[in-house]
Amino acid sequence: MEYVSPEGLRIDGRRPMEMRKLQAEIGVVAKADGSAVFEMGNTKVIAAVYGPREVQNRSQQLNDQALVRCEYSMANFSTGDRMRKPKGDRRSTEISLVIRQTMEACILTQLMPRSQIDIYVQVLQADGGTRSACINAATLALADAGIPMRDFVTSCSAGYLNSTPLLG
Amino acid sequence: MTGLSLGEKQFIRGGIAQDLRSDGRKRRTYRPLYVETRVIPQANGSARVRMGRTDVIASVKAEIGRPSPLQPNKGKVSIYVDCRELSVALQRCLLGGKSGAGAGIDLSSLILVEGKVCWDPYIDGLVVSSDGNLIDAVSASIKLHLSRAFCFAALSNTGIPRVHVTAEESGEGQPELDISDEEFLQFDTSGVPVVVTLTKVGRHCIVDATLEEESQMSSAVSVSINRKGLICGLTKRGGASLDPNVIVDMISVAKHVSKQLIDQLDSETSAAEAIEEE
Repeated sequence: MEYVSPEGLRIDGRRPMEMRKLQAEIGVVAKADGSAVFEMGNTKVIAAVYGPREVQNRSQQLNDQALVRCEYSMANFSTGDRMRKPKGDRRSTEISLVIRQTMEACILTQLMPRSQIDIYVQVLQADGGTRSACINAATLALADAGIPMRDFVTSCSAGYLNSTPLLG
Repeated sequence: MTGLSLGEKQFIRGGIAQDLRSDGRKRRTYRPLYVETRVIPQANGSARVRMGRTDVIASVKAEIGRPSPLQPNKGKVSIYVDCRELSVALQRCLLGGKSGAGAGIDLSSLILVEGKVCWDPYIDGLVVSSDGNLIDAVSASIKLHLSRAFCFAALSNTGIPRVHVTAEESGEGQPELDISDEEFLQFDTSGVPVVVTLTKVGRHCIVDATLEEESQMSSAVSVSINRKGLICGLTKRGGASLDPNVIVDMISVAKHVSKQLIDQLDSETSAAEAIEEE
């Protein structure tokens, strides 16, 4: 199957180095301290941040920095075929870990000892690149929550197909 | 949720006793309702309902399946919400008994080939933000979509593709199906009920409680009522016991409030659909 046509166009009409349309909105979840919806093409992700707040599990409390927790889950209706197990499966656990490590590296956790920051990311529509969309959404949600960070963290995925690098 | 101080608790209880709640509402007033349809393009129908700071999304995906051998002329509807308690409450309200009797949706309309092929609508709910009264919000969005908990909004705009059975096969074979991409059948949702939850705080009942008000409740009764004013389901939550007269009063309040809620949902849906068509 031709993924890149002889004229240099992909299936959806993009060039190999062209990204999908980006759209974002912040402050979508009234109850959360910070929240954002991030769309990359048809992939739509919502992130909500709660914190810094008191640590719920005293045994996990860190005395010199904030505890960052992250939970990634996919809605049942996010993929074309309905998913049976939205969270707790290996892929979700792995992606939760990846997002947590990424955000932990950029949040200035030293400024908020003995506190907890919760990042919840939910995939509403999955069309590839959910990991990247989640990291972007989490960055916006953290900024919306006013949590001090070193810098924005952005993410994009890329692949290599038939000796052509393809973006997003 | 952070704890409430003694003063705050007394304030909430006192306000309810005087028919003036913390956000200025009366005991029987719902929070403003915002409805958005077709939020999930991949699903057959979807809706997002916002009641104050409670935000829920429901979607309906119809898949082709086999009917159960015990009920070969009925389709199977399954409801799943990411919160287990809600799933169970909603299933009881919408789906009726084990045999499918008393269900809010006409299950026999989901049959394509009796005994072999039927539609299986999967109703999935997602709670984006919870500020009390989740069951009502979910039912509103299902009705939109299907009704009774999330689904009210989602069911109304579900378009089930028209299916033509192209080749009949006798015996064990699966008939061939041609699923049309163009023609859609609208689901008939006039019989789908909506849930009204009455929360008892002190000696009075309130409608559409926020999370703080729910923390002060002694018990709550969720009544599922359809357009004709008939009760489709009843659930009581909370540890305190209730006098039967109190429950009867709550039901009559719920009947009265449900009429307004259904009218409001209908007008919101048509407004949302009108915006869609523009």
